[in-house]
Amino acid sequence: MRPNDIAIVGYSEIKNVVKSGQSNFDLSGAAFSKLMESTGLEPSKIDGLAVTMPLTETNAFYANYMCDALGLSPTWLLLSALGGCSASGGVARAVSAIREGQCEIAVVLSSDNPTSRPRVPTGGYKSEYENSVGVQGPSGFFGLLLSRYIAQYEFIPEALGKLAIAQRDHAIMNENAVEKLRIPLTMKDYLDSRMISDPLRLFDCVMRCDGANAMLMMSTEKARKMGFKKFVHPVAYAERSNHLGHTMQPDITETGFADAGPRALKQAGMTPKDIRIFAPYDDFTVALMLKLEQIGFTERGKGCRYIMETDFSHKGTLPLNTSGGQISAGQPGLAGGGLNMVEAVRQLMGEAGERQVENAKNAMVTGIGGIPYGRNWSISNVTILEPGK
Amino acid sequence: MSTAPTTAKPAPKRPVPVPNTYVKAQPYWDGIKEKKLLLQYCTETKQYQHYPRAVSNYTGKANLEWRESSQKGAIYAMTLTRVPQPGFEERAPYPIVTVDLDEKVRMIGLLLNCKPEEAKIGDRVKVCWEVIGEGQNYPAFELDR
Repeated sequence: MRPNDIAIVGYSEIKNVVKSGQSNFDLSGAAFSKLMESTGLEPSKIDGLAVTMPLTETNAFYANYMCDALGLSPTWLLLSALGGCSASGGVARAVSAIREGQCEIAVVLSSDNPTSRPRVPTGGYKSEYENSVGVQGPSGFFGLLLSRYIAQYEFIPEALGKLAIAQRDHAIMNENAVEKLRIPLTMKDYLDSRMISDPLRLFDCVMRCDGANAMLMMSTEKARKMGFKKFVHPVAYAERSNHLGHTMQPDITETGFADAGPRALKQAGMTPKDIRIFAPYDDFTVALMLKLEQIGFTERGKGCRYIMETDFSHKGTLPLNTSGGQISAGQPGLAGGGLNMVEAVRQLMGEAGERQVENAKNAMVTGIGGIPYGRNWSISNVTILEPGK
Repeated sequence: MSTAPTTAKPAPKRPVPVPNTYVKAQPYWDGIKEKKLLLQYCTETKQYQHYPRAVSNYTGKANLEWRESSQKGAIYAMTLTRVPQPGFEERAPYPIVTVDLDEKVRMIGLLLNCKPEEAKIGDRVKVCWEVIGEGQNYPAFELDR
């Protein structure tokens, strides 16, 4: 990738709320309105739009409806349907679209409201081969995944607890986090929390909510001409779908990050030691541990040890999801994939207030999309961001 | 003051599959009627796959035939489901297992006829059958002891 030619120049986020009662057009509208206010942009200048497909509106016309709802007439329109990778994947695709000249000024917009509207049935093979089994949704599948990790590797429950607590401490400083999650969490609270789908505990899991976020992108050259002062450049991106999909008995602990992580780092000319801020997609704490191992922060099976030895606070050596992540700020459905990226952009612009990371020289953001049958998750993506100078 | 009518909610029902929705797999559904587990077999690479698909995941071609499974395997992963899914309310907590069948495919199913603490990853299991919906057989697992 050519690192500095494209820039994220603005972002917005609304407060995560459980049962907002709002539609995706309400929520997206609120995030879009904040973006227009904070950037001072005239919406008529926007000619690119990537819209995240929500859990509650898997509708072939959804992106068209969103243009209509916001009054936009883009020359480049994308319905980004990559599960929790939709927002970061939307940013990567907007980079390409801007480079190709398909649009000049793009908005990547995500909202979802799984606590207010019913989610659309997931389709595919699930109705015949999965739904009749009685698996407890995502937490059931991640319970299966964690059980296998424990069978293969050294497991220290306190390690996952440490991740949950680090992110909770960050959520307390994030006024956009779900309000009822903004209370301290102790290791005792974590260890005493009830099992959800053994060996997965309550505090290993996200809590669903409603929310929305948006990012504004253009070429760095155009951003300078328009007077933007702060830029964040997507300098590397790698993605892998249906990892090991041609095999029937893959190691379920092997993720697409074993491929996408090193590829993104190579593009950026970095090693894991160079990463200053880690903003991984966090639906369950075990996903964070697997990413730490397979992106290369530590070795396979050494995740628990590494976590016990690492300071993940905003003042630490590897600040982790400094707005609380989805696990402690709430998971606004598939818009949750945009939350940790928005926080990374905020950090790299130096606008994170009391949770600001010192020397915020780069951030790694990840996404996870989809939970398949008898495999690891479906889509893994990695974005590396750097602030502009 | 009016009294609200008491309307008892109907008990949630366990989802029942509608065969051949994902892909045409009539031999699979015919098989389970007779408590046989049929798997797709790629005639070119001589490997099985499950669940059924339109093409071989090894060659991308429709070079598939149906062969009967031994219905035996080992527990690969296991979770205890605390929050019952619709139609499973009376069973909770109930174990679910990912099983590596001897045909080198993977299946997810309920683990029946034992206490959760009696089973662990690596244990041998075999298919057993439940009747769901209106007389439809559906595969589950039990310890092979």
